[in-house]
Amino acid sequence: MSTGASDLATVDQALGADAPLPRANGELVFEEPWQGRALGMGVVAIDRAGASWSDFRRHLAAAIAARAPSEGESYADAYYAAWLDALEALLGERGLLD
Amino acid sequence: MDGATRPLGELPGAGLSDAHDHHHPRPASTVELRARALEALLAERGLVSTDAIDAVVELYENDIGPQNGARVVARAWVDEAYRARLLSDSNRAIAELGFGGAEGDNMVVVANGPSVHNMVVCTLCSCYPWPVLGLPPNWYKSPPYRARAVSEPRAVLREFGVEIADDVEIRVWDSSAEVRYLVLPMRPDGTEGWSEDRLAAIVTRDCMIGTALPSALEPARS
Repeated sequence: MSTGASDLATVDQALGADAPLPRANGELVFEEPWQGRALGMGVVAIDRAGASWSDFRRHLAAAIAARAPSEGESYADAYYAAWLDALEALLGERGLLD
Repeated sequence: MDGATRPLGELPGAGLSDAHDHHHPRPASTVELRARALEALLAERGLVSTDAIDAVVELYENDIGPQNGARVVARAWVDEAYRARLLSDSNRAIAELGFGGAEGDNMVVVANGPSVHNMVVCTLCSCYPWPVLGLPPNWYKSPPYRARAVSEPRAVLREFGVEIADDVEIRVWDSSAEVRYLVLPMRPDGTEGWSEDRLAAIVTRDCMIGTALPSALEPARS
């Protein structure tokens, strides 16, 4: 099936070791449904906006570094919250959220 | 479009999430509301649609596919020097093709031959070389496979439709967090002169776990 969007291998490669998707033994970890939707939303929006994955990776790494870890927050929680930060930053930078 | 005044229930994704959450009702968290609001905004800008997001999530959750491993095998079939490197330093040879990272860092490739057949199991859990094979099939994680692959591999292989002659040794490799195995199957007869791409297409996931044999007659199933 083709969705026209980047496949997972492409995303994995693009994110590299800086900001790898949360996984457990290879499988993506979504602790709540919104996390999966956040991932899908990012992939679709980045592709449709014609944005580059390296720009997104830069924003994501910065967002992860900028977030203060909160009590009881899992890696997936923190990661996908940072993912939203990064997506907003990337699309905002391109004037798409005005 | 007057998206700002729509009730929350009409926001993209909201219905799905509510339907899934009914057995443990709780107020949506702040970050979840934020995700929904962003999705609604992006939908208005034409950057996402609920269907497109659903399609990506479904695709990602299901399988990334064994195509990376298949390319490694196909290269080894056409390039003797690559095959030698693959068997002596699997990580480096796999990295040559641009694959690896994370849990693919400790790969060992084991080659089938006329007198030996290899198969892979993880008796403890479900350790698996996902950077080259994608996500593990459900049977790989099942307790019966994990136990029986060791105690009666020949019978297990028969159930997969693979008959291994009695004079062929079966070696079972137990994957772990430290070492993940990949089977290099024998190149099947009838594939002389095939391109690397065509060869890769007949290398299925199960061939690289050792529970199937590649065939020149059968197209790869996904």
